Amino acid sequence: MEHKNIDHILELSNELRWQIGDDFHDNLTEGIYADAAQIVSDSVQVDTSKKRFRLDRQIDKIVTSKTFGFPIMFLILATVLWLTIVGANYPSSLLAQLLLDTIHPLLKSGAAAISMPWWLDGFLIDGVYLAVAWVIAVMLPPMAIFFPMFTLLEDFGYLPRIAFNLDSLFKKAGAHGKQALTMSMGFGCNAAGVVATRIIDSPRERLIAIITNNFSLCNGRWPTQILIATIFIGAVAPSSFSSLASLLAVIGIAVLGMFFMFTTSWALSKTVLKGQVSTFNLELPPYRPPRFWKTIYTSLIDRTMIVLWRAIVFAAPAGAAIWLISNIHIGNESIAAWAIDALDGFGFLLGLNGVILLAYIVAIPANEIVIPTILMLTVLVTGLDAGAGAGVMFELDSANATGAILRAGGWTLLTAINLMLFSLLHNPCSTTIYTIYKETKSIKWTVFASVMPVILGFIVTFLVAQIWRIVF
Amino acid sequence: MNSYNPIQALLLFLLIAGILYVLLRPTKGWFWIIKNNFKSNEKVIIEDILKQLYHFENSGNKIDTKTLVQVLKFSNHHIIEVLKKMTINDLIYFESDVLKLTEAGRDYALRIVRVHRLWERYLADKTGFSKEEWHDRAEMMEHRLSHDETNMLAARLGNPKFDPHGDPIPTHTGKMAEVSGMELPLLPVNAIGRITHIEDEPEIIYKQILAENIHIGSIIRVIENNATRITFQSEGEEFRLAPIVAANLTVALLEEKVVLEENIARLSSLKEDETAKIIGISRESRGESRRRLLDLGFVKGATIKIDLMNPLGEPNAYLIKGTSIALRHDQAAKILIKKE
Repeated sequence: MEHKNIDHILELSNELRWQIGDDFHDNLTEGIYADAAQIVSDSVQVDTSKKRFRLDRQIDKIVTSKTFGFPIMFLILATVLWLTIVGANYPSSLLAQLLLDTIHPLLKSGAAAISMPWWLDGFLIDGVYLAVAWVIAVMLPPMAIFFPMFTLLEDFGYLPRIAFNLDSLFKKAGAHGKQALTMSMGFGCNAAGVVATRIIDSPRERLIAIITNNFSLCNGRWPTQILIATIFIGAVAPSSFSSLASLLAVIGIAVLGMFFMFTTSWALSKTVLKGQVSTFNLELPPYRPPRFWKTIYTSLIDRTMIVLWRAIVFAAPAGAAIWLISNIHIGNESIAAWAIDALDGFGFLLGLNGVILLAYIVAIPANEIVIPTILMLTVLVTGLDAGAGAGVMFELDSANATGAILRAGGWTLLTAINLMLFSLLHNPCSTTIYTIYKETKSIKWTVFASVMPVILGFIVTFLVAQIWRIVF
Repeated sequence: MNSYNPIQALLLFLLIAGILYVLLRPTKGWFWIIKNNFKSNEKVIIEDILKQLYHFENSGNKIDTKTLVQVLKFSNHHIIEVLKKMTINDLIYFESDVLKLTEAGRDYALRIVRVHRLWERYLADKTGFSKEEWHDRAEMMEHRLSHDETNMLAARLGNPKFDPHGDPIPTHTGKMAEVSGMELPLLPVNAIGRITHIEDEPEIIYKQILAENIHIGSIIRVIENNATRITFQSEGEEFRLAPIVAANLTVALLEEKVVLEENIARLSSLKEDETAKIIGISRESRGESRRRLLDLGFVKGATIKIDLMNPLGEPNAYLIKGTSIALRHDQAAKILIKKE
């Protein structure tokens, strides 16, 4: 009996739905807005002078004008990046001095004093502690500079104007103008860039922005690019132009990253993502004076600390792994040596070598520790007299000395160029991968976003290596 | 590495890339073709035959075996085989050499049509697939959904009356809304009507209609109608079509009382410093996009003007209800306004 009633009601509701017609939702919204407008006109008094709004319009006219819009945009982005990269050097070296040069030896001598077994001391202090300290020293300063500046721009209201200016470029690639912002955020940190894609409310465009964020060179990769470009590319150019040449090479890599970002976005929107819902709208909020201290505080807590914490969590086991593979021996060789030997052939095909590939495998947690790991492994396999022993990552103060070690490890100009390319085109760091999973809640897209750039990197470095060898 | 040679390596790579391309390229790759061929089993053939007969009978045409074989893409002996079975199962019968649907056959056909149109509606409202793809995807889906799944889909979509092209969707009891109107070329000059249906077959003609940006639900006025072309005005723009293309548009005549407001236009035609009132959102704007526009305040009667012109041409920012919202050109084309 009860069942019959429900059926009857359902039948009736279906019948009524037919009668209401398709415009039902439109009419409802219209009605709500009409009521709201009535309430507003009854209860809100509007100040007719509207002076502040005029100022808004003046700023908007300038930052979105054909003449000034784009120069202003590039100037601001370049300034932010320059301040980050150059400004981070000083606090970074201070932190490195404190954590790596002062506390690390202290810990070592402390361990020796309580006669800790060598393996425990190596595992904990040379492995885990060193990796964590390294990540903090290299990662914290740039993020602490970049994120507050970016958040200030966001708070002021300028960022949506960038999205507005650039949208038609991104539309051609099947993406959303706001991807310009998440891409810029990726220059600071890809994990933060992925989180920032929350501002894109269209599912398809958001996935595109997440998957392609890795093509923005992040803070962990800028130093690698600059170091390798200085050592190898600067050396090829005449000495008066060497710093200009290496600078151009690094910018070239960053621009190449944007090129890959656009092409992959386009390809994704035309193939695997074409069924995802796509909408567009972009609100241009009024400008407002940024709340300086609040912004600094929240950007430090919300962005910097969260990302740093995740990086540390992932770096600790990586440090342990790096130490273990260099110190556990199978037969008469360490695991690292075996692995390098096994990867050498494939590495050669890509114009790289086994050391680089192994370094990228164990240093998945953080791009910051790739170069120290490469140096340590190179010393390990070549038997050079440098560094601090098996499994202990190190970096040298002078670029020349670093170059000498790398050349002794068999590096050529091709190796350097392909390393720079591979540093741009490889899997995201584990912090980013984890963040992608948290944001998409999909194993499929996480795997795709992790594997696709590596395959692209293999293809690009392979092609460059073959063509290079044919030409030279 | 003794046998390594960069040229060989490069050639080997190109060879592998070439093979992968041939196998896996979208739709024309061998992998997909083979995969699809596996699926064209007896059920698919039966259902396609039923659908064809249904459409032929509905348009008052007669069809014999010869025509049927030409229309369908399956091999001849397959079709003949299946036709025999269908006669035995009492889905079709022959009247001399003309094929006819039985009552059961007609019910079955109606169910296929229902799934097809529901699925097109689903693709339009809930996914981002482009219009060109709707038909082919629905063609595949109509053979896969079971009776219960179809009803669940219909419930989720709110039991819609029409598919996105304006074709009526049969209910599970077989009830169907009426479509009024006639083909556009039959309309006299100066007639005013509303586009109620855009036929999506054949694909070549449908693509031309899409390229013209003609929207379903738009009110049109015929300006010129002769053997070589049909010109009509709609939403402030003028459209010129060849009669064969125009025949794919169905237009319902409006009663004479309704006066066409001459200054209705699309928002995309609004110029800087002009103010307008919104008349409504075109039915071409669907699903999430439409809902979002409504939520942002793009409702009937709202005042709108351009806030900022984009340095690259689009999107322009519009001032609506005191907020500046940027819309792309194709979105703005689906919002109807009356200039002041």
